[in-house]
Amino acid sequence: MPLSIDEISAIREILGREPTKVEAYMFEAQWSEHCSYKSSKHYLRLLPTKGKDVIIGPGRDAPAVKVFNNYAVVFKIESHNHPSAVDPYNGASTGVGGIVRDILTLGAKPIALLDLLFLGEPNDSYANWLIRGVVKGISDYGNRIGVPVVAGMTWFDKSYNTYPLVNVACVGVVELSKLLNNTPKAGDLIVIVGNSTGRDGVLGSSFASKPLEDDSNNIAAVQVGNPLIEKLLIDALNDAVSKGCVKYIKDLGGGGLTTAVSEITAEYELGAVVELNSLHVREDDMRPEEIIVSESQERMLIVTSKEQLQGLISVLEMYDLQYSVIGYLDSSKVIRIYYRGELVAEVPSSELARPQIKLWDVEVPEEHSSLSKELSVPKVTNFKDALLKLISSPNVASKEWVYSQYDYEVGVRTVVKPGYGDAAVLRLIEVDTYSGIAVKGDGNPRYTSIDPFRGAANAVGECFRNLVSVGSTPIAIVDELNAGNPEKPEKYWYFTQMVKGVSWMAQELNIPVVGGKVSFYNEDLSNATEVKPVTTIVGVGVINDIRKSQTLNLKHVGNYVLVVGVTYPELGGGELLYRYFSIEAGEVPLPRPSTELLNGSYVRRLIDFGYAASVHDVSLGGIAVALTEMCIKGRKGVYVDLKNVPERGCELQDLLFSETQGRYVVEVRREVLNKALEVAHDLGVHVGVLGVVSSGDILFRYSNVDVLEADVDELHEAYENALSKSIEG
Amino acid sequence: MYVVEVIITNKGHVRDPEGETIYRDLIIKRGYTNVAGIRSGKYLKFHVQSDSCKAAVEYVKELCYKLRIYNPIVHDVEVRASGQSSCD
Repeated sequence: MPLSIDEISAIREILGREPTKVEAYMFEAQWSEHCSYKSSKHYLRLLPTKGKDVIIGPGRDAPAVKVFNNYAVVFKIESHNHPSAVDPYNGASTGVGGIVRDILTLGAKPIALLDLLFLGEPNDSYANWLIRGVVKGISDYGNRIGVPVVAGMTWFDKSYNTYPLVNVACVGVVELSKLLNNTPKAGDLIVIVGNSTGRDGVLGSSFASKPLEDDSNNIAAVQVGNPLIEKLLIDALNDAVSKGCVKYIKDLGGGGLTTAVSEITAEYELGAVVELNSLHVREDDMRPEEIIVSESQERMLIVTSKEQLQGLISVLEMYDLQYSVIGYLDSSKVIRIYYRGELVAEVPSSELARPQIKLWDVEVPEEHSSLSKELSVPKVTNFKDALLKLISSPNVASKEWVYSQYDYEVGVRTVVKPGYGDAAVLRLIEVDTYSGIAVKGDGNPRYTSIDPFRGAANAVGECFRNLVSVGSTPIAIVDELNAGNPEKPEKYWYFTQMVKGVSWMAQELNIPVVGGKVSFYNEDLSNATEVKPVTTIVGVGVINDIRKSQTLNLKHVGNYVLVVGVTYPELGGGELLYRYFSIEAGEVPLPRPSTELLNGSYVRRLIDFGYAASVHDVSLGGIAVALTEMCIKGRKGVYVDLKNVPERGCELQDLLFSETQGRYVVEVRREVLNKALEVAHDLGVHVGVLGVVSSGDILFRYSNVDVLEADVDELHEAYENALSKSIEG
Repeated sequence: MYVVEVIITNKGHVRDPEGETIYRDLIIKRGYTNVAGIRSGKYLKFHVQSDSCKAAVEYVKELCYKLRIYNPIVHDVEVRASGQSSCD
């Protein structure tokens, strides 16, 4: 979005004169919402970012968290919503490219990708085209750079029919001694490596900082990824970092060269001298203002000392990567850009990196109070029908159509694979044979569109539970806040509420939010559709012994099934209301941080003691859906008495489908039931013995009355095929 | 029966990694320096039942657009009757 009149006069004041053309482009790129966080910075300060294991928090291209004493996990999330709406294939794939490069900046090796996709209805032909393009884009790019896509989530909703939300995350690992955490100094050289700089993506960030309009002028922001160069960057940087010939790395992402140089110089109180002629460009006739803000993909900025330069060059040449030494850092605190020997920009670095903070008006939208009020929930007349509808809902059903397109095993680290656990479990072969981490991403746009505070807090809670379910201890999260136009008070409200929800819940669960991203202007003006705001959370947990990690498929006939946590009548905003009654409203389930902590520590103990045979968290569609998924994946039946569910104020349909937070279903080995119950008693955890694993049907009873009986094969068929049927037609 | 060809390429300002790679890593490296550039693309050949050549081309044009066989924002598309540049 072009600079405002206020901003232009601020620039005049900073420079004491009219900006040159190059300077104007630099300010427009750097002060864009995308690069500067000007509308979100104020609120992002609410997030708890510190923790004993946090080595690098927000501020750098990616954060780093210590694991297993000598290693760090580097992970980050990013959205590529605007580009994916215009060009789903290239938009999604360049999103993957960008997030991988963020991980490289700390010298880490990328080991896993996650994708969190909010897509339209598969039976809408335009949405269907977007869905295929997005998934294929992620798949092709991920496969070609050899990084597995191991986890994520996919949500389908009509509000994303013409405008999908594409959030991608990357996880990397690095030995602490090799973590790139140096301070660049005056005299160090600036080297640009990778793809040549072209006209593609000129002011792309500025494009992403306004609502999407229906015209073909979006062309400037269409970017095509080149995974072959990305793969070379991964290998070359890994090599260069090991050989100690790199001091500091920055991705050339949004804002291109301008943002990279301005952030380094501002952060370390330095200046820079850059000669644009030295840069390898794609087209000879590129103007300096185009070069300085181009967002061509697969480029990185490396800071190295004069002594290290020769070593770096030999590595880059070995990998056949193009590079240019374009200038150096100095102590002037001014960025000077030259083009063909002529000074074309001279800007104080701290001022360029410090846009005016925007505090927009906030207004509670009118529909909020009516949407989020307590509903009198209609009665389900046929429980089996409801269960079938739920498990064949694209939001619940197997996502095999999506993840079967991904290579989720390349690198042979993936212990718990997509579809079989609440989170992916990855071996950290660098550390030793049995150490590992769990990763997962979550978000629920129905919750956040009805009640953004609770919805965002529940996303943190669900991520926490998913990490616990596989047997890990959550250590840190990153967040992505996808919202609408901040200049509209009732849209900005969603953003502010979501930040507060994440902040409160993360603080209560004592999990630092080590990084994240904000995406505004997610609106589609051409179709006047509402794009539901959503907060996505990606979390990492540590597992000391991956042999103990848990999957969700039921294992043995005769084992007991426990439900952990009290169930309340909380169907509001839930999958049942939507799929069975077409209602998208009601009181969103209450986030319950203290319950999450207590129940989580209980479940972890069951896993540590070897009592658990399978674990699944309770989320969409409640206990009925959680248990059904465990049956389907284990090809087992279950005999359940709902009378044993710890509950308050629930009717039958609440016991089955309520989405109360903080609950788990755990299969416990037959011989240790009493021990498992003793632990619960000692901790003061509410647990009910729900039933027994069988070789027959799924049977829910209440005392002596049959409530729901279903054939596992029938449910299996519905669960496994619903999504691919709706996409493939 | 008419044969209709569809050629889809990235628009001029949109990059083409495949073409760039072939150009840089194959053509230029092997010394074919008279080649100034390469653009890669996708080629589809339709066998269409139609009353006229023009109608066949129009039919294919429309279906390519409606089925999103190309992305009008990213791609240039050329639809033509086989073996000749127009139906005349």
